Amino acid sequence: MSTQYSDLQLDALRELANIGSGTASTALSSMLGRVVDISVPKARVLPFAEAVEATGPPESEVTGIVLGVTGGLIATVLLLVPPADAGRLVGILGVDPAGELAASALGEIGNVVGTSYLNALAGMTGIEMEPTPPATATDMLGAIVESVLAGHAVGGDVALLLDSALEVEGEDCSVSFVLVPDQGGVDLLLSRLGLG
Amino acid sequence: MEPNQIMVRMGELAVSARRGQLVALGLGSCIGLALLDRRLGTAGLAHVVLPQAAEGQRSLKFADRAVPELISRLLGLGARRIRLEAVLVGGASMFAASPALEVGSRNEAAVREQLESLRIPVLASATGGSRGRTVRVDVATTTVTVREAGGRDAELVAPTRAFEVAA
Repeated sequence: MSTQYSDLQLDALRELANIGSGTASTALSSMLGRVVDISVPKARVLPFAEAVEATGPPESEVTGIVLGVTGGLIATVLLLVPPADAGRLVGILGVDPAGELAASALGEIGNVVGTSYLNALAGMTGIEMEPTPPATATDMLGAIVESVLAGHAVGGDVALLLDSALEVEGEDCSVSFVLVPDQGGVDLLLSRLGLG
Repeated sequence: MEPNQIMVRMGELAVSARRGQLVALGLGSCIGLALLDRRLGTAGLAHVVLPQAAEGQRSLKFADRAVPELISRLLGLGARRIRLEAVLVGGASMFAASPALEVGSRNEAAVREQLESLRIPVLASATGGSRGRTVRVDVATTTVTVREAGGRDAELVAPTRAFEVAA
């Protein structure tokens, strides 16, 4: 596959991320009972070596929630949340951030948000996307992101990062989204959008 | 960032003689493989992403491509093959519930297999588990330190005074 995409293609991918995160923000909003704003998403195609740093300082602590995607598209959806924000999110749901239910509550937030994101993408592209159950970890950002990238590294050396951020109004807490497809996945998405 | 720090990112490798620091930040399932010639104060660091290349794949992200390349670059700096010693850091399983992502232990096994077939002893390691790690190699003293998220640098390989040993 080519490692270079045209501006038109990147715009189309960005629009895909925009609609996906719009749907995800609606899901998060109704789950939390709060207004959720979305940022303008970015679509970037980067060599692995640069992809990790593009998501933030590698040693900063972050909570990651991953959902695998199987079916017509092989990919991973990664939600990145600053640990304090993760605590606030589960707090809004009435769950003790320090308690043993916190991790599963967070996984459930990831599940709802990630699945609605994928459903929007599937609806636009006609590609079947089957999410796998969420897993969470709080650790160095670099360690979390590189482990996700490594899972899609067999076929090539570039990653497509489709990221957008959700902000819960009045709570100072944000969630960013990264979709990392397998190498063939990018071309598949583009061809379904008529830009292959 | 300190001067003379060389960042070794995913799929990259670097070598240095008697100066600087080689660093791999936030290793998860990847392996940071350091090879040291402690007598010469010369070291290399590879950031290995996957165990095995398919035929025709030359990328240094693969263990079976990175290890021979790292050795050859160290020999180019005057290191002696018979003195090379290895340090392994990383190979964690960040998401225990997601087996599809777990290449960490396979990466470690692949790197160890390469080292064994090339008869390079493993001096120290900090591998496996579920935590991310940063590895730093101070080249002149061939000191290797490792740090986990929220933790402090811990010494894996103590400083060597290269010049005294050589004298």
